[in-house]
Amino acid sequence: MSQPLLKAEGLAKRFGDRVVLQDVGLEVEEGEIHGIMGPNGAGKTTFFHVLTGQHKPDAGRVTFRGEDITGLAPREIACRGIARSFQLMNLFDDETALVNTMVATPEMRARGFDLFSDAARLEAATERAQRALADVGLEHQASARAKGLSYGERRALEIGVALASDPKLLFLDEPTAGLGAEGTERIAKLIGSLRRKVTIVLIEHDMRFLFGLADRIAVVHWGQVIARGTPEALRANPWVQRSSLAA
Amino acid sequence: MTMLHVEKLAKVYTRGRFSRVPTFSLEADFEVASPQIIGVMGPNGSGKTTLFELITGSNAPTSGRVMAMGQDIHKVRYRQRCQLAMHYHQSYQVRSFQRRVPEFLLEPARCEAPAIHLFDEPQFNPQDGYIGFMLDFFRRLRSEGKLVFVCLHPNEPYHVELLREVCERFIFVNKGRLLQAASLQELKAHDAFNAYLGRLAAEI
Repeated sequence: MSQPLLKAEGLAKRFGDRVVLQDVGLEVEEGEIHGIMGPNGAGKTTFFHVLTGQHKPDAGRVTFRGEDITGLAPREIACRGIARSFQLMNLFDDETALVNTMVATPEMRARGFDLFSDAARLEAATERAQRALADVGLEHQASARAKGLSYGERRALEIGVALASDPKLLFLDEPTAGLGAEGTERIAKLIGSLRRKVTIVLIEHDMRFLFGLADRIAVVHWGQVIARGTPEALRANPWVQRSSLAA
Repeated sequence: MTMLHVEKLAKVYTRGRFSRVPTFSLEADFEVASPQIIGVMGPNGSGKTTLFELITGSNAPTSGRVMAMGQDIHKVRYRQRCQLAMHYHQSYQVRSFQRRVPEFLLEPARCEAPAIHLFDEPQFNPQDGYIGFMLDFFRRLRSEGKLVFVCLHPNEPYHVELLREVCERFIFVNKGRLLQAASLQELKAHDAFNAYLGRLAAEI
């Protein structure tokens, strides 16, 4: 059996008296969209932060392509091919969508921000950034400043920025936060179009959104994974059936 | 071995430094021999959380003791008490202990993983469907040989429904005293329980 792309075992994280994660595990296979969901305050975001290096776990291990990445700095984790978006967006407001995307490309990473030192490299970065913008449906907005974009477009741009780093694994933290029905639909389509191009771990509170996208889902609550399964299996639960998701 | 024996347990809260006036007292005495899911109900301030704190060893009793998996939980090392009983507060686990005795004077826990799980007022929201996963989680713990307490203050018909669906035994905490029953019907024979449920009594 091939090893999973990302594997977490026995993760624990505590803040004072509160144990937010206790012996949590996760396996993400290459090419899948793996959902993590849970009620508000259940520890989803902490789980996410531990997986992506924002928090060091008190115990447990995270391996990526077989390599132990537990407790590495976010930058070191990013260099191994893991990109993430944030629940609260991080964009350079005064720069264009293209520049925002370009600074994330591996070509730029190699040289820092000295854009004019190497024309070929700049061209490669531009091409990659344009591809990333096309992937998120923003090619027509390449020269628009980030602050001039709609909220939904900014959400899409954030994913574009993450994609421009050419990740093997993409983490998305509540990508639909603050979006209306139409914006959510658009992001769902966008993420669906990335299936098989990149492995995605998707954190969401909105079950309906996840059910439509994820290949497998882990339900996090009380600092543990309380349920796992395919959307079909989880949806079959009688209490899910009678909730507002049944429609 | 009894999983949990709450033995002549009492907790008295007092007011005043010199002439202590009791303001609240909780008394409990019961035994659970085998894995079960027990529903705990009671008005705010009736002593539900105090009971949970006493069972998990985070609050010291005035008298009596709590035997969890054969060990007096208040004599177990603070950091290992969660290997006997675990307190879940709404959405996370709590490890809060009044450290009165040095850790080295206490005994180690004889279990690796907790056998007793106490869920303090989980947020059950019928809109999002998480209830089903929570109930399945309680059932899974029980099938793994654990003892599960679910504390809930029913104020919607579906609260009564989910208690009936998942619980095999009930405890009603009222003014610091416990009433026990094998079914909601049995509890309904008590006026205090009916008064507590109000309009929801019709659901039983």
